[in-house]
Amino acid sequence: MGGIHIKNKWLPYVLVAPTVVLICVFKIYPIIISVVQAFLSKDGAVTLDNYKFLFADKTFWNSLKVTLKFNLMIIPIQIIVSFIMAMLVNTHIKGIESIRTILYLPFCVSLSVSTVIWQMLLNVNNGVVNSILGTFGVKPIGFLIDKNWALLSIILISSWRGCAYWMMFFLAGLKGIDLSVYESAKMDGSGFFSTLFRITIPLLKNTSLFVLVANTTANFLLFAPVQIATEGGPQGSTNLLMYEAYKSAFVYSNRQRQACIVTILLVIVVGICVIQNKFMTEKEA
Amino acid sequence: MTIKEKSVISKIVLYVVLFIMVVVSLFPIVYCLSASLRTQEDLFQNMFPFSFKALIPAKITFENYVIIFTKYSFWRPVLNTVIVTVVTIFFGCMVNSIAGFAFTCFEFKGKKLLYALVLISFMVPFESIAIPLYDVANKMKMVDTYAGMIVPAIADGLVAFLFIQFFKDIPVALIEAARVDGASWPRIFLGIIMPISVPIFITAGLMIFMNQWNSYMWPLLVARSKEIRTIQIAISAFSGERAIQWTYIFAASLVSAAIPICLFLPFQKYFVEGITAGSVKG
Repeated sequence: MGGIHIKNKWLPYVLVAPTVVLICVFKIYPIIISVVQAFLSKDGAVTLDNYKFLFADKTFWNSLKVTLKFNLMIIPIQIIVSFIMAMLVNTHIKGIESIRTILYLPFCVSLSVSTVIWQMLLNVNNGVVNSILGTFGVKPIGFLIDKNWALLSIILISSWRGCAYWMMFFLAGLKGIDLSVYESAKMDGSGFFSTLFRITIPLLKNTSLFVLVANTTANFLLFAPVQIATEGGPQGSTNLLMYEAYKSAFVYSNRQRQACIVTILLVIVVGICVIQNKFMTEKEA
Repeated sequence: MTIKEKSVISKIVLYVVLFIMVVVSLFPIVYCLSASLRTQEDLFQNMFPFSFKALIPAKITFENYVIIFTKYSFWRPVLNTVIVTVVTIFFGCMVNSIAGFAFTCFEFKGKKLLYALVLISFMVPFESIAIPLYDVANKMKMVDTYAGMIVPAIADGLVAFLFIQFFKDIPVALIEAARVDGASWPRIFLGIIMPISVPIFITAGLMIFMNQWNSYMWPLLVARSKEIRTIQIAISAFSGERAIQWTYIFAASLVSAAIPICLFLPFQKYFVEGITAGSVKG
């Protein structure tokens, strides 16, 4: 049907109208008001005060620091682990189909419910993880209440589900690689690692770029685990920017502050994605 | 080391790593199932020091499930989630497939611009707009209604894109023949296109299902009252209550995980195809 391009005065507009209108009202318009609101004072005058107040706020800088630290850890972890998982389930051994299905399962448990379950597993008094660690002589760890552990625990919780999801993309990409490419590499005496770095990874460029961008976006905007398990604590150690934005709007009722934070988050995410895009496409040349 | 020895060793390593991954993936789910079938005393008393009693119920009981569905009216959030999900799937498939049809089949002014708009929207994650979106929903009197959860989720750039990709491969002759026979556009869409597009409708429905079933931030903001809140919000509210027993939360969590697992497993092929189209071709 790619070739058919029928002309009709009004019908196509009627057909695309519902989707286009809904997208404008519920996706595009909210972004615009958020960006605009950040530059407006409470009585509607154009101002830079919202940013001035925000930049003078220690809580914001701590939140930004936590967000960057969190993403510097979680993005590489999720991408490397999910890529390894995809490589492993792409082999042809007995029972691999069932293993693949099992590895998909965490994705079916929603992130909020995974958080609730892990919260109990990681509990300091009655959690099974501490119970198991106890057999190795480890003293109970306050995974979600100790400021040295809380951020790592949020990473664990999000990655348990996240890796299953990102693995699917890598697996789809790996399946798209022609087997004859590997055959000829083998004939040329290429070892596992040189095949991996010279053939597999370059051929997965499109998939990797997609996963990198989508993963960066998802993790910079992570919200559910923090809101459910730690509420940003202890001592602000898990106070990610998305949660700080939520608190600004619904706890402090400060819409300007929230709009500033969301705008900054969007700028960071778009900026990083543009850099990733450039870096990945330049490599080819 | 000979090549044969080498391949045996790499096979063993492969199995060991896969085994660890299977255990890590399954453990929380299986433990959740086990904990949901025991009493809180049984669960807590056998926790320390660790033994197999910490993992396996002394006596199996279904009491937790009975209590969450009766005393805590857990059927209500389950029902709400099902309503929201089913209605979103229905309208999402309809609206996006029709738009996809128009984008592939017709030539019209402004098509490129509108198409770009649709594509941009699928790069915009819901979380980034959830808070400003609340103001929009508020103005439209959608707060604390099913519509508030459903309407903003209907138009989905990725789903529209999936339909466009699929419709592109439908042979032109099929449509032209129908046009010559004088079939109207609704008849062509319902009678010819839809029947051959069943797989992509399954994929689209499944993607919308997974999105809605996983959404947390948006329902948290827009549907606060007890009567219309979804499973995800109800469970996280459970976990915030000090008085509630853990075994109840485990039972509720298992119910919320079991439904998507039961739907995902038979249709996983369709879902994987959907994300492939979105990432590799896109």
